[in-house]
Amino acid sequence: MSSSGNATGKRAGRTQRALSRRALLKGAGGALVGLPLLHSLGASAGPSSPIKRLVLMYNPNGTVWDAFWPTGGETDFVFGEMLTPLQPFRDRVSVLKGIDLAVTAVGPGGPHQRGCGGLFTGRELQEGTFTDGCGSLAGWANGPSIDQVYAEHLGISTALPSLELGIRATAAEVRGRMFYKSAGNPVPPVNDPQQVWSRMFWGSDGDPDARLVQMDKRRSVLDSVQAQFASLNPQLSPADRQRLDAHQVMVREMELRLELAAAASGGSEPELACPKPPNPGSIAFDDAGSMPLVAQLQMQLLALAFSCDLTRVGSVTFSSAINDIGYPWLGSTDSGHTLSHAGPSDEAAQRELINRGKWQAEQLAYLMALLDNIPEEDGSVLDNTIILWGSEVSLGNVHSHTDMPWVLAGGAAGALKMGRFLEFDGVPHNRLLVSVLNALGVGVDRFGHPDFAVGSLSGLEA
Amino acid sequence: MLRRAVIFCWVSLGLSAVGCSQEPEPTQSEPRLECAPVSPAPAGARLLTRVEYDNSVADLLGLELGLAEKLFPAENTVLGFSNNLEAHQASPLSVEKYLEAAETITQALDAEKLAELLPCAAPEVDATCANTLIETLGKRAFRRPLQPAEAAILRDLFTTSSAKYGGAEAARLVIQGLLQAPQFLYRPESMGAPTVESGAVQLNSYEIASRLSYFLWNSMPDAELFAAADLDQLRTAEQIEAQARRLLKSPRARRVSLDFHRQWLGLGRMSGLVREGTQGVQTADKQEIDPSKLPAAWQASIEYFLTDLIFEQAGSVEDLFTSRSLYVDAQLAALYGVEAEYQSQAPTADGFVKVELSAKERAGLLTQPGLLALLAHPDQSAPIQRGVFVREQMLCQPIESPPPSVDQRPPDPDPNLTTRERFAEHTAIPGCASCHDKIDGVGFGLENYDQLGRFRVEEYGIPIDASGRVVEAREERLNGKFSGAVALSKKLADSAQVEDCMARQWYRYATGRVETEDDACSLQQIRAQFAASGGNIQELLVAVTLSDAFRFRVPGAQDGVE
Repeated sequence: MSSSGNATGKRAGRTQRALSRRALLKGAGGALVGLPLLHSLGASAGPSSPIKRLVLMYNPNGTVWDAFWPTGGETDFVFGEMLTPLQPFRDRVSVLKGIDLAVTAVGPGGPHQRGCGGLFTGRELQEGTFTDGCGSLAGWANGPSIDQVYAEHLGISTALPSLELGIRATAAEVRGRMFYKSAGNPVPPVNDPQQVWSRMFWGSDGDPDARLVQMDKRRSVLDSVQAQFASLNPQLSPADRQRLDAHQVMVREMELRLELAAAASGGSEPELACPKPPNPGSIAFDDAGSMPLVAQLQMQLLALAFSCDLTRVGSVTFSSAINDIGYPWLGSTDSGHTLSHAGPSDEAAQRELINRGKWQAEQLAYLMALLDNIPEEDGSVLDNTIILWGSEVSLGNVHSHTDMPWVLAGGAAGALKMGRFLEFDGVPHNRLLVSVLNALGVGVDRFGHPDFAVGSLSGLEA
Repeated sequence: MLRRAVIFCWVSLGLSAVGCSQEPEPTQSEPRLECAPVSPAPAGARLLTRVEYDNSVADLLGLELGLAEKLFPAENTVLGFSNNLEAHQASPLSVEKYLEAAETITQALDAEKLAELLPCAAPEVDATCANTLIETLGKRAFRRPLQPAEAAILRDLFTTSSAKYGGAEAARLVIQGLLQAPQFLYRPESMGAPTVESGAVQLNSYEIASRLSYFLWNSMPDAELFAAADLDQLRTAEQIEAQARRLLKSPRARRVSLDFHRQWLGLGRMSGLVREGTQGVQTADKQEIDPSKLPAAWQASIEYFLTDLIFEQAGSVEDLFTSRSLYVDAQLAALYGVEAEYQSQAPTADGFVKVELSAKERAGLLTQPGLLALLAHPDQSAPIQRGVFVREQMLCQPIESPPPSVDQRPPDPDPNLTTRERFAEHTAIPGCASCHDKIDGVGFGLENYDQLGRFRVEEYGIPIDASGRVVEAREERLNGKFSGAVALSKKLADSAQVEDCMARQWYRYATGRVETEDDACSLQQIRAQFAASGGNIQELLVAVTLSDAFRFRVPGAQDGVE
């Protein structure tokens, strides 16, 4: 596993300080995760129906094909250089070639915008006023992303609907938003691990009786808030009503989740014995040198959230399509976006891009290792998790949307063919999204834009 | 770090297919628009931004906690602006944070502070007292009198809670209810019916009070605005103008101006900026410059400059592009060679003094060292970024993105070539020239300033060539050759296109929207008034509040007119 220890000069001191904080997140036994899986807050899941989890991972500006695609056949493949960090989990990784973001041919926007919007929604962009050069304008994606669809499918069964983790994901616009609760309603990532920690363990202090009182007060307040929404509703224009209705639904769902958590903690037998790790403390999370540390902390928190069943849905967003940042610990200090525009003959640039991509794969491997350390039934949480990793373009220097660099990871509870290098024939990625949803038990026959939402990805399902 | 030195811009086949040529905006030379007597604009319920939330809570409850800044997710942005109706919206995370903030706020309301809010002296809050609290505090929170149903909801909340937790705690829960109600978190503007003549809906006095206070103060209306609204005296242009002028006199208007300029000029990117070349530069007391402190100093310097120019000097667009003032602290004084002037004056609390720079070297905003340092690479100036910045932010002429195959990495410094010579290679390439004529002609004109914003006449002993040429500006008189930033700024200072662009930027900030055809007549009204004032920037803000778009909205479907 890579460490963040290579930073030099002034940054090193800061990283070092931050690293010592990381120790706080670790329990006495070392890693923070590796806790036994505790009782689910919701309906008990029998051994016949394992809890399935979904993680979507994004990194920007495409890849370098020669270093990304495996060589060899479906099962005897050899990872390209970029994906070698996944070697320890070879049996639980599938690399998918020949899948296109066909939906990017539809609707407004520039190539990065369309790619970001369509990546996990399978949808075109709405009309809008976000710019992407060329005076091209676009709005948000025109539908929900699969993580939010799965969260919706799960209903109110965990304290958090989903956990959106950012690692320097600072673009607060369409080129930095891959996850959508509904059409036009993006879900933002949180870049500060301390904020994630606060969200996960919000209100977990105090004795059970005090928490029941707190819940009673919240119930009264939130009921009044619901009533105010209802009271205002008839006076709104249709556009306003749509936005405020979405807000009201979020308030209602939050209330139900709070009820759930309060009930779990207030019973006669304290069921939720999920130990709260120490506050990770203040981290310079937008500092270039902190990025490796932040990535590790965020994924530790995600693993912990799964371990405690605080949620079953997560996403990890590295940077954004604007990606104007360096990876100084790799000696790659310039804007990644600028770098991605370098041509294939520029060997130095390709080397930097490969190093960055390899680092991304290391992050995935790190997350997989964390999840694999959490025992669950006969295996690990990883066995019951699907991780889907993608980028908004295939090659940065042509902004292509064909042969997208998709990686599937985790055991997918046995529903998908893993340990494969699967080559498809230019199929729309909507089919991949359908297959992932079906593997999670959502049961759909189409997803996303109707022109491309035709069935699942035959050959992927186990 | 490896970086290639040359072949800065190479173009693959099919450039014409990738590139783009349209500029989706009206031309300056178009004839004056024929406008209806009233030209309403679309409106929507705007969600409070973090700044607006924190200011509103401070004004409503007297608690300056800054919770939104700490807790709430950052707003989504459009064209740099974070208060956009379409982009800034609630999420599951922010809904949790609204609850957390409301609870934290009422925790901060101890017995003493709560007593200040309560209309009754009684230690125990009874129903009568609570009803008055709901009517008075509720009106301020919702920024209009409560409708009976809204008040009833809060009375129910009080009654239920009071029985269980006592009157004081019930009052706190009522406040939590207010702070999470959509009538507080949003600014709905849906009252009123369209007039028969115009088909537009005139915003009522409470809605205008909120528009004025959030535009000019980033906060809720004050007592005087409420009093005017109670008397329905925010109807006429004269009434609105009087209030706008009053609000502009407050320090709060300066706060808004800074918020606007941070977004317009992209000053948010200043944080963490690394600029090389300060080694060996010492302050008067022999301290080496600490480069990590420069970004904050640059930001403060620009902010002092803007506030002084717009408010203390009541400056104009012309002043904005010609003023030679610079605010420096000890480090900046050393960096820009004005220590003697710095030493001779008493600094502000945070150590800044105002100095005047040479008229040959500096003229206005574009030559502010902090801005030039922002628009630079760590080790060299950034003529492309600077050119794009002027075209997009000052002229409102967006530049198309380069085709994806273009290598956008800056060439490495080379002691045998000036920055201009290294960057100029790509303009010789036919495919690049069409855009770069527009960009570089401006950007190279700013080559007298290095990555720290210092004035220079040579690089590596080679004289700087700061000649430039503006092409394809919409305003014909802007086009043509110039030499150096002072000359360029003089062009901008006299430009109607720059005036128009500034008006558009403020308009986007004020309305929370990117302008469309529906806004053309309002923008024309604003431009005319702005120009008539001699380009006075405060007058521009007054003009925005008097525009039809600020006072009238297009009816929604529920108004029965489509």
